[in-house]
Amino acid sequence: MSVLVTGATGFLGQRLVRLLREDGVQVRCLVRPSSDLQSLRQSVGEVLWNGVDVVSTELMDSDRCRDAMMGCSIVYHVAAGLSGSTSTLFLSSVVPTRGLLRAASEAGVQRFVLVSSLGVYGTQAMQSGSILDERSPVDPHPHLRDPYTYSKLMQERAAWEVQQETGLPLVIVRPGVIIGPGRGVLSARVGLQLGPLMVRMGGTQHLPYIYVDNCAAAVRQAGLAEGVDGEVFNAIDDDLPTAKELLRMCRRAGHRVKSVWIPRPLIQPMAATYDWYHRWSRGQLPGVLTPYRTASIWKPLKYTNQKAKSQLGWQPSISFDEAFHRSLPSHGADA
Amino acid sequence: MPDTPSRIRVALLGCGQIADAHLQEIRKIDFAELVAVCDVHQDLADQAAARFEVPHAFTDMQRMLSATSPDVVHVTTPAHTHCSLATQLLESGVHVYVEKPFTVDVPEAERVLLVVKKTGKSLCLGHDQLFDPIWLRCRKLVDDGVIGEVSHVESVLGYPLSGQFGRQVTGDPNHWVRQLPGGLFQNTISHPLYRITEFLTDIQPRVDAHWYASGNATFPTEMVAHLRGKTVTGSLFFSTRIQHQRISRVYGPRGGLEVDHDGQTIRFIRQSTLPGAFGKLEIPWRHWREGARNLRQNLWRFLKSDIHYFAGMRTLFELYYRSILDGTPPPIAYEEMLRVTRLMDVMFRHCRVRTGAKRLAALSSASPRMADWKANCMAEVEEEESVS
Repeated sequence: MSVLVTGATGFLGQRLVRLLREDGVQVRCLVRPSSDLQSLRQSVGEVLWNGVDVVSTELMDSDRCRDAMMGCSIVYHVAAGLSGSTSTLFLSSVVPTRGLLRAASEAGVQRFVLVSSLGVYGTQAMQSGSILDERSPVDPHPHLRDPYTYSKLMQERAAWEVQQETGLPLVIVRPGVIIGPGRGVLSARVGLQLGPLMVRMGGTQHLPYIYVDNCAAAVRQAGLAEGVDGEVFNAIDDDLPTAKELLRMCRRAGHRVKSVWIPRPLIQPMAATYDWYHRWSRGQLPGVLTPYRTASIWKPLKYTNQKAKSQLGWQPSISFDEAFHRSLPSHGADA
Repeated sequence: MPDTPSRIRVALLGCGQIADAHLQEIRKIDFAELVAVCDVHQDLADQAAARFEVPHAFTDMQRMLSATSPDVVHVTTPAHTHCSLATQLLESGVHVYVEKPFTVDVPEAERVLLVVKKTGKSLCLGHDQLFDPIWLRCRKLVDDGVIGEVSHVESVLGYPLSGQFGRQVTGDPNHWVRQLPGGLFQNTISHPLYRITEFLTDIQPRVDAHWYASGNATFPTEMVAHLRGKTVTGSLFFSTRIQHQRISRVYGPRGGLEVDHDGQTIRFIRQSTLPGAFGKLEIPWRHWREGARNLRQNLWRFLKSDIHYFAGMRTLFELYYRSILDGTPPPIAYEEMLRVTRLMDVMFRHCRVRTGAKRLAALSSASPRMADWKANCMAEVEEEESVS
């Protein structure tokens, strides 16, 4: 069996390629002309590298992408812009996704797996303490979210639109915050990093994290499992800590985080004040903190990965405790 | 007397990164109404419309024009499309604001300006940093004679390629920026150049320019240019090897002014008036006082919420829209647009010729055909050098 992976040189992509190769699957990697293959090759290993073939092209070049997809039964679309302005993220995520899906349909691909984000849910409208699962609605006002989440929401919308047009079997995986060696364990779900200082937001919220190897396994299964076309799967680890517990784990591991704490009742008034100032000053400070965004990101919710476990036959094989230690800066660069 | 319209309907073409700045600043102008955005990618047009509350998003320019009837259209597309889009828009009967650089070369610029003349519509070019508060303050100090008659202007632009746009340009050999005659510089060098030409007003100053690729880059990334006018000289330094910075220094017989456009500060450059070692105390003392003055001024501006990265852009938009409503000439003179474009052409040609000259000198003249070709090329190089 042959599959195609976009974003193969990325943090998640290279683990996915390795897992697929370990299963004996032939992998075609779609990489940008400027991509450095060394780290991918190292991750896959020389023995398994024999079953990897690399196609160098821009994702916007639909013809080249379609040619590359010929003979592949599954496309794993992992490539995505992670930072930058909204338009940049749209150009690197949303626009190429439409072209890739159409190309996959023309190339006779049997399943298209899109790696999205757990951030797409409309959590601002959910009750604190409620369970977030695949039935929860996605955000109805994507443009009010941060540029990355906005681009992922629109990328999903674009994918469903092309799926409707073409009938291409589509599966979407929504991973939580992906942690792993070199990425650290602190994220915006804990608080805002202001220079050397972390502004901790609340602390009782569970962190929807997933270790990169666990995530790669879930994505792989989304391509291989039978009878899941048209389904969406949340991918998060078991035994998720709260933000407070994570910081305690950091301290115990000898990593002191310089931080100030914003108690939960103050988060929304603070965001409302900041947002008011942003508007009053006509943007003298950037509009990054709004009541809508704060309600979306720091609300205490319960997360479940039951659907992925039962329908994909997936298990997070690396425990959160182990994932935490592997992700600490002091751990080897690529443990 | 007929009623003149008091509001202006604005549309925007090309919803990339710089479009965000345009839309954000247009929204701050109370007599401007954003009516539509347009991009070849519907997704891009839609995101701009959603975020900046623009009522209509299009993928077709003519449809946008006929459906929304804007008075002025901002062109924020890649540089190589400016000429064609600007002429189409002018011929469709709308005024046009073009983001820098104006066009790819002088023939294109002349073509656009011919259409401006033919249609009677006006055009403004995005030389917005001339209207930035700190540059206006520098201009006032110069006009007040603080440094005397300007003799030299130095303009520095630090443009590390690790930035968002730089990464895109580096990573994609087919990126549109790399296809421009002036490559990376063509898209960015207008800003530091027009800060020089603000004071160096000769129509055709002598130009000496050089570029080269730094490190592993496969295209020119560093550039130095000297401009020699009758009374004012200028030097432009563009580097991807230094941190992002926009610094201008304006010199006259009584000293100089150093303008940090990002820090929004001005520092005086003057010799010490005290003898010997005392001078080493006077200069830092002056720096300290200037630091305190800059801090005080910026603090006051902060309290007034008057520190905005694209403040110059908003001022230029306002002036341009007013000029449309009043029927007066646009704030950037057409001659200046052409002059800056011509200077860029000369600089890039000079750079290419110099690079070519080195390669030519290293070529063998083994065959008669090769020798002829080399001689012709060398003659072209010499002619170019004698002109500039």
